[in-house]
Amino acid sequence: MAFDPSSLRHLFPILAQSAYDHPLTYLDNAATTQKPLPVLDAIQDYYRNFNANVHRGAHFLSDRATNRFEQAREIVASFINAPEQSHVIWTKGATEAINTVAFGLEHILESGDEILITSLEHHANLVPWQQLAFRTGARLRILPLTSNGEWEPEFSHYFTDRTRIFAATQISNAIGASTPLQTMLDHAKQQGAFTLVDGAQAVAHYPVDVQTLNCDFYVFSGHKMYGPTGIGVLYGKSHALEVLMPYQTGGEMVRHVSYQATEFNVLPYRLEAGTPHIEGVIGLATACDFLNAQDRLALLAWEQSLAAHAYARLHKEGSIEIYSPEKNTTLVSLSVPNIHLLDLNTYLDSQGVAVRAGSHCAHPLMAQLGVAGTLRASFACYNTMEEANRFCDVLLDAIDLLNDE
Amino acid sequence: MTDSLEQQKPVNIKAQLKNCRSKEETFKTLVTLSKTQPRLCAEDKTEDNKVKGCESAVWLIIVEKDGLRHFKADSDAKLMRGVLVAILSLVEGKTLADIQQMDLRAELAELNLSSYLTSSRNNGVLAILKKVKS
Repeated sequence: MAFDPSSLRHLFPILAQSAYDHPLTYLDNAATTQKPLPVLDAIQDYYRNFNANVHRGAHFLSDRATNRFEQAREIVASFINAPEQSHVIWTKGATEAINTVAFGLEHILESGDEILITSLEHHANLVPWQQLAFRTGARLRILPLTSNGEWEPEFSHYFTDRTRIFAATQISNAIGASTPLQTMLDHAKQQGAFTLVDGAQAVAHYPVDVQTLNCDFYVFSGHKMYGPTGIGVLYGKSHALEVLMPYQTGGEMVRHVSYQATEFNVLPYRLEAGTPHIEGVIGLATACDFLNAQDRLALLAWEQSLAAHAYARLHKEGSIEIYSPEKNTTLVSLSVPNIHLLDLNTYLDSQGVAVRAGSHCAHPLMAQLGVAGTLRASFACYNTMEEANRFCDVLLDAIDLLNDE
Repeated sequence: MTDSLEQQKPVNIKAQLKNCRSKEETFKTLVTLSKTQPRLCAEDKTEDNKVKGCESAVWLIIVEKDGLRHFKADSDAKLMRGVLVAILSLVEGKTLADIQQMDLRAELAELNLSSYLTSSRNNGVLAILKKVKS
């Protein structure tokens, strides 16, 4: 294996600690990743050396802050290969980005129009569309996985001339499966629908090119890709962003205000009301720099090899049901019949192994799989093969301890 | 009303948990204790008897007899059954007034069960304590 995680693990000192006298084994990366030292340093550098509000005061610190803030937009735009930095809108995270689109497109929908999503969506890419459908009389349609977890060979009929919006995740947070995104986006485009891609689970692992995807909107969160919490991105094509009605109004997003009327500012500011999350923006750009400095395909191959190794070891155990794919994914999602997920999770925690047990904000998908939830171990670039093995060892111990009836 | 704690003495339950030196030992003790708890029959597992706010399903039945409270409980999670054994060992057969005066959180902390009380776990132990005192 070309990649060695020890080449960058020292940048994540949080991982060096013990949890209940065991080495901390952090495998909850799909929930949030740890942050490398350069990101932590960048945030502190901002507050120590150039904290000021952006776009406002004409003074030394404000100029420095504004420059770094807008430079960050360039870095993030280039990270996803957006053609222009004004196509990058700062949000709190993927959830706020999706809500910005769902509210912003409300005025184009009529009763009987269709919003199409897939059955792999996180609640963040489901509930905003469902509520939009309730408000407008549009119909929320679901492009489902079949019962054996495959996409239907022929799903083009879900895309109709009434499909106005198509929103899909790139990778399922709950089971790590990918969507056949490019094909789906092509079908949606043929029907003239607006397209949104939820890249929250993809950006930390896969190089993203929004121009190749050719989607109207692409959203992601900073904290799942080694950046800070509370910062995310809404990328949009110019014409798509122009269509959005601002769902928040106030300072920064205006050009001129009188008591009678308000003239909105140009993009990207039109969709960024209020003082932005400056430290978050700077931290996120630094996280992009961190990833850009890596051989990203080598990182991906490593993360996939960890997940595939855990899959192979656990698949041999007849007592474990695995819902994630065997290969080409960076997580393992499983359940053990007759053992409660919380019991497994508590034992793993007692051994210092951090995973996620639950429905992963995807109740309809869990219902389709016929489980209340799954146990998910999700890998990042700093995880080691020892950690993947430790997860398997401790899980098998837990099953032995709990499986006595 | 059967006395669900007939088989074990509360003193022993407390001692077993107090003596645990690690989270792992506490885990194993809770698993052992969970087996001492008779399961509820299907008719007792009603929505009314369910404790709201638990991530695992928890049923808790309180019966008053001669001014004393008696408890039956069950959960679909084994550890939660163990925790229930611990909680009920503290309150079984007492009057409501006595139970209300108890600092159950502190007593559970003494039994090394603090980590089961944090709200972030959302496992509803606090909801169980509230119901026990209601």
